[in-house]
Amino acid sequence: MSILPHHYHIHHAASIGRRHHYHHHRHHRVYCTATTPLKPRPKVEPLIINTTPLIAPPKLDDPELKSSWTHRAWVATGCTTVLISLASSVVGSVDSHIWLEPVLSGFAGYLFADLGSGVYHWGIDNYGDASTPVFGSQIDAFQGHHRWPWTITKRQFANNLHALARVITYTVLPIDLIGHDHPAVMGFVGMASGCIMFSQLFHSWAHGTKSKLPPVVVVLQDAGVLVSRSQHAAHHRPPYNNNYCIVSGVWNKFLDENRVFEALEMVVFFKLGLRPRSWSEPNSDWTEESEASPATSDFVAMTMLCIRISSNVEYFLEKPVINENTVVSLEYEFNEYHKKSKPHVTQSQ
Amino acid sequence: MASSLRPTLTASLPACNATTQSPKLYPSAINPFKSSQSHFHGLKLSLAIPSSFSSFTPSISKTSVIVSAKVTKGSVAPSFTLKDQDGKTVSLSKFKGKPVVVYFYPADETPGCTKQACAFRDSYEKFKKAGAQVVGISGDDAESHKAFAKKYRLPFTLLSDEGNKVRKDWGVPSDLFGTLPGRQTYVLDKNGVVQLIYNNQFQPEKHIDETLKLLQSL
Repeated sequence: MSILPHHYHIHHAASIGRRHHYHHHRHHRVYCTATTPLKPRPKVEPLIINTTPLIAPPKLDDPELKSSWTHRAWVATGCTTVLISLASSVVGSVDSHIWLEPVLSGFAGYLFADLGSGVYHWGIDNYGDASTPVFGSQIDAFQGHHRWPWTITKRQFANNLHALARVITYTVLPIDLIGHDHPAVMGFVGMASGCIMFSQLFHSWAHGTKSKLPPVVVVLQDAGVLVSRSQHAAHHRPPYNNNYCIVSGVWNKFLDENRVFEALEMVVFFKLGLRPRSWSEPNSDWTEESEASPATSDFVAMTMLCIRISSNVEYFLEKPVINENTVVSLEYEFNEYHKKSKPHVTQSQ
Repeated sequence: MASSLRPTLTASLPACNATTQSPKLYPSAINPFKSSQSHFHGLKLSLAIPSSFSSFTPSISKTSVIVSAKVTKGSVAPSFTLKDQDGKTVSLSKFKGKPVVVYFYPADETPGCTKQACAFRDSYEKFKKAGAQVVGISGDDAESHKAFAKKYRLPFTLLSDEGNKVRKDWGVPSDLFGTLPGRQTYVLDKNGVVQLIYNNQFQPEKHIDETLKLLQSL
């Protein structure tokens, strides 16, 4: 007999003078009956539930997490455009012997990338859904990331970066062709685009654990050069409306303390009538799931279900009449709970 | 049938987080007040970025000037008649004889306004002890006010200033270059004379502290 929290409810219910009989089979078989002296006991068939969650996190060997040659190609082209910018900047600086301007503009590019990552992240996290044109797949990916944040640490390198690399290729290549004679411009563009492209890697490191990260990464995170694990963890806690920047995180304190995104949200609401997601209680599609095994998740799900059933049965005890509707409502509870899953409700012989 | 058999949990006072509702467009008829200056109090600047970027935030300043506001401290507030959350007509004259806190806020079910309303609710006993009434005014309709008041168990009156006529009459300034309706609170004494005007868009709870401070000295 498995020991489940709702056993307390069962024994408590029994103490108010009705006779009850519950069995709890260790293989998730729940068998609930209730009796009344007034009417004959209805025949309640035991129900066997097998649940398959409809939406599950990717497994470790999921091809969705692996890099393909297309991914690698895009990362290669992205890196090439970034390196061209940086190389142009360095060569131009050497030729002109002017270093201060390109270095400063490079630093500005690094800061701009952090701010840009925050604004983009805020937009994607709060507006639209999977069906939104152009950004739909990104929005869906970010939502999935909030639900299963640890998955990003399981992605292979090119898989993680290829989407950004593609955008960088399209954007930076024309700039490289037009602006290669301007070292300061190339410095800004090279640093900004490089940081944006690698922001997903920095993001992945921010989800890592200290012991598993390369020591140099930990040093950079602690120094504030890269976004820290603690800062980014704050973004993954309700109400999910802060610490949006994911390159260095240097803008997070300013943006959060001055409620810049709150102001932007109000402006968008009044001008466009769109409510950001952060104004609402997070729904189950958004709330983080723990990195539990499927067996544990099933156990938790069944426990919650049994608690609901037992609380319904307690309600029945107040009402002496039990008829076939009782069974219907229990079935309803099963089906309603598993609405989001694929219920396989069968009756045992 | 099944739903009636399901046990219901009595809800405790809801946490003051806005929940999903159909978006309500703020009336586009709003005209920023005559002055194009925005009025943005109470913003703490803690710049952690190089000072070369200070020009990045020109609109955010700690103090700004109210230009030709119609209601000022010491003046008698102009009367109005608006509908409350139950659809009943309410006049400002109804509150004469007692101090009254009239607070203008952007919209129902937005985070700042919810925090402000809940803060007024939580301190309502103190306002009552000071003999003051509290009235909230926004451009939302009576239906929106009713739902907002019901959800957060607000014990005070919410008035619908549809078209923002009263907001303009009283000269409540907008924020962020006219994009945001301002959050401004007036405390009127028992004769209807304005004793305090407090404006703070992004620190709504401060309105309660400031108004209580003044009421206790009236």
